[in-house]
Amino acid sequence: MTNGKLIFDETRRILFAAAVALLMALVIIFIASKTPFETFNTFIAGPLSSKRTIGNWIDDSAKLALAGLAFSLVFQARQFALGVQGQVYAGGTIAAAIALSPLGMSWVSIPLGALAAMLAGAFLGFIPGYAKAKLNANEIVSSLMLNYIAYDFANLILRLYLASAKTGLTASEAFPRSAVYPAFVQHTRIDLGVILALGSVAIVWFLLYRTAWGLRLRLTGHNARFAAYSGIRSNFIMVSAMTASGAIGGLLGALYVQGQGFGKIVVGFEGGLSFEGILIAIVARNRPLAIPFVALGYGYLRQGAALMGYRTDVPAEVIGIVQGIVILLVASSFTLPGRAFLNRIMGGTAAARAPST
Amino acid sequence: MTPFLQAIGIDKTYPGGVHANKSVDLTVSHSEVHAIVGENGAGKSTLMKILFGVEQPNAGEIRLDGTPIHLPSPRAAIAAGIGMVFQHFSLVPSFTVAENVVLGVEPRSGLRLDRKRAAETVQALADRFRLPVDVEAPVERLPVGQQQRVEILKALYRDAKLLILDEPTAVLAPQEVVELFAAIRSLTEQGRTILFIAHKLPEVIEISDTISVMRAGHMVGRVPKAEATEAGLARMMVGRDVALKVTRAKPGERKHLCRISGLTIKNDRGLDAISGMDIVLRAGEIVGIAAVEGNGQSELFDAIGGLRPVEKGSVELGGVDITAVPVDQRRDAGMAHIPEDRIATGSAGGATVAENFVATELEDERFVRHGLLDLGAIRAHAVKLIDHFSVRVNGPDAAIGTLSGGNMQKVVVARELSSNPKLLLVSHPTRGVDLGATEFIWQRLAVARDAGSAILLTSADLSELLSLSDRMIVLYRGRIVAAFADTTELTPETLGSYMLGFAEQPENERRAALA
Repeated sequence: MTNGKLIFDETRRILFAAAVALLMALVIIFIASKTPFETFNTFIAGPLSSKRTIGNWIDDSAKLALAGLAFSLVFQARQFALGVQGQVYAGGTIAAAIALSPLGMSWVSIPLGALAAMLAGAFLGFIPGYAKAKLNANEIVSSLMLNYIAYDFANLILRLYLASAKTGLTASEAFPRSAVYPAFVQHTRIDLGVILALGSVAIVWFLLYRTAWGLRLRLTGHNARFAAYSGIRSNFIMVSAMTASGAIGGLLGALYVQGQGFGKIVVGFEGGLSFEGILIAIVARNRPLAIPFVALGYGYLRQGAALMGYRTDVPAEVIGIVQGIVILLVASSFTLPGRAFLNRIMGGTAAARAPST
Repeated sequence: MTPFLQAIGIDKTYPGGVHANKSVDLTVSHSEVHAIVGENGAGKSTLMKILFGVEQPNAGEIRLDGTPIHLPSPRAAIAAGIGMVFQHFSLVPSFTVAENVVLGVEPRSGLRLDRKRAAETVQALADRFRLPVDVEAPVERLPVGQQQRVEILKALYRDAKLLILDEPTAVLAPQEVVELFAAIRSLTEQGRTILFIAHKLPEVIEISDTISVMRAGHMVGRVPKAEATEAGLARMMVGRDVALKVTRAKPGERKHLCRISGLTIKNDRGLDAISGMDIVLRAGEIVGIAAVEGNGQSELFDAIGGLRPVEKGSVELGGVDITAVPVDQRRDAGMAHIPEDRIATGSAGGATVAENFVATELEDERFVRHGLLDLGAIRAHAVKLIDHFSVRVNGPDAAIGTLSGGNMQKVVVARELSSNPKLLLVSHPTRGVDLGATEFIWQRLAVARDAGSAILLTSADLSELLSLSDRMIVLYRGRIVAAFADTTELTPETLGSYMLGFAEQPENERRAALA
């Protein structure tokens, strides 16, 4: 199958999944809302209703893309490390500490914050990898547990050192202007973070498809026994994939606190977005170059649902249903219904079946 | 007398454009064993799928006992008395044999499955057709040969008059093949008809009454058993003379390349799979290992290949001790490995052919510089190997998982031979591979041997071992029980008695052949 056809097929499947999910959302809105048409309109057209909402959509998408990228990197190595959330909190906390320190008065705090956040995230990513390589600890369990530790530790640091007395221990003072990512479009959240996200996508693509490390990683993910048989040190690959993924998670933390959206650190600033990176990675089939598009599409639905939650009588949780249906349809490798039936009445057999002799 | 089954003018083109059957005729008589042979891709499986209602022909007619029948689905085929055993079994592992056999048409008492009656019926069926199997055992605990019997019983329980067996011997050990053939004979004696798809010609000639040969979608011949010869059938299948003969290594002094001393290896259950093995391998020879499946040969190859730890003893290759070093260092020392399972071990199914070729060469300056892939060189390397080994593939960017078994095996063989190894481990090199590719792979192994490789070979196919090996050893329960410095006079019968543990060579004779 050619690449072009593959992309076409996948795109068609995703769009169809999204259409089914939207239809379900529509049904729910009709049941739940007193003014269904207005509600649905808010859901579908809301994100484009103002410069500010468009900005929120783009910013959310950049964050979703980074989260998806972090997951896709470990998923390609067939490691199910789920530690992105913890990495975001660790990275965000370090970046906030730098922004609130005297360094925050200089632009240096932006690259320094990003770098320190990546290091913190990488360290958190490294732990479950190392534990798996040396102790055979299950990476799902250890990475999830680390999420709790990182979250609570971040809260502790916030309350002890970073919080301002004015905010009642739940947020810091606003960072100095020099420590906040410059906005590219005034009065929106479209800032340096978008560039960082796209740059990360390009770097991860390059690492995966143009370096020997990336090929080793993908071969390990395809068939770990084959990798071992070929002489690939799969433990090194596994640990380094988790570490690199952790660095992306950490960077996402810096993006949060130093971005236009916050410009300060707040309790629970990540708001559960990290885990939605799993959906992005699954729908994009772990392909880095597909991730920005999937993130934009999903970010749009997410933004629409959020606006619906603020502006209408239907809660934003509808997005959870949409998310579930999309995952179910994409992950289950469905084919368009009716194809087998169509083939039967046309006299052939299912075209989906590969010819074998 | 009307033939039992007649297929007339069967034509099948797949939606992808593959013309798999071109006006194929097939006539099968009552109570005979009818074999269909042909290379991979000749259209045998398609024809069988049509007869079992899995695929629909574009043209043609199927007659059973002279009556035209229509088979829109496997269900219709079963109702017409046609059963099929596929290569990949469809059994529920945690269910017992009896439960698996009756699944779908269970005897009931009220709403519940009548276990007792199910077990009795299945037992009676097994006794009648000489298919001994423990009907109360869960299927997952049975060896492959017995699982196959369960599949056959499933078809018989549904009262199949015609039983289609798709390459039934591919998964079986030699002993199991003997048992299967006994069962097949008892089936035909009791009026059942067997349609048998196969690769291995000696087996086909042994069991069949009539042999139909397919090539490139055509039915090219129908040969009664009396007139069938291996060479003749091979010529019909491939369309040219096939020389399944390999020249032996030229005699002469050969230097020692690999020394295995006191090697002990544990199996997955912690028991000794190989105990205290000593052997020296020399440059330019093939050493064959004959053993019944499960006598330590898999563990031996895994351990030398670096996929399993060595318990005691040492392996030395060209002066380097490789007993406990990682796989990449073994490969640097000159080891290469054609593993027994090309899918589970020998390839990364989702990756491209080019990536599979280069997987073992990622330290090589030709393909990787400063950690960056040289995609052009990798592609050129793949194109070259595809060409040299006549791999049938759309191009180096095709996923290897889309290749047929024989072509996938060629990719593995090409990759492993391309490094000009000193020591080549070869496990079942032609399992499930068609005749043309088998001939090709054998010749390539002989070329590698003549270029100075020491080759350690094992195969479930004794004729393959006897054709290729310059020296042979027999493993029984992890120990070398016999060794032969000269294989020209060796017969399968002699090997068999050692393989089954009936005999053991005197110590001094063995020693002489191992040095």
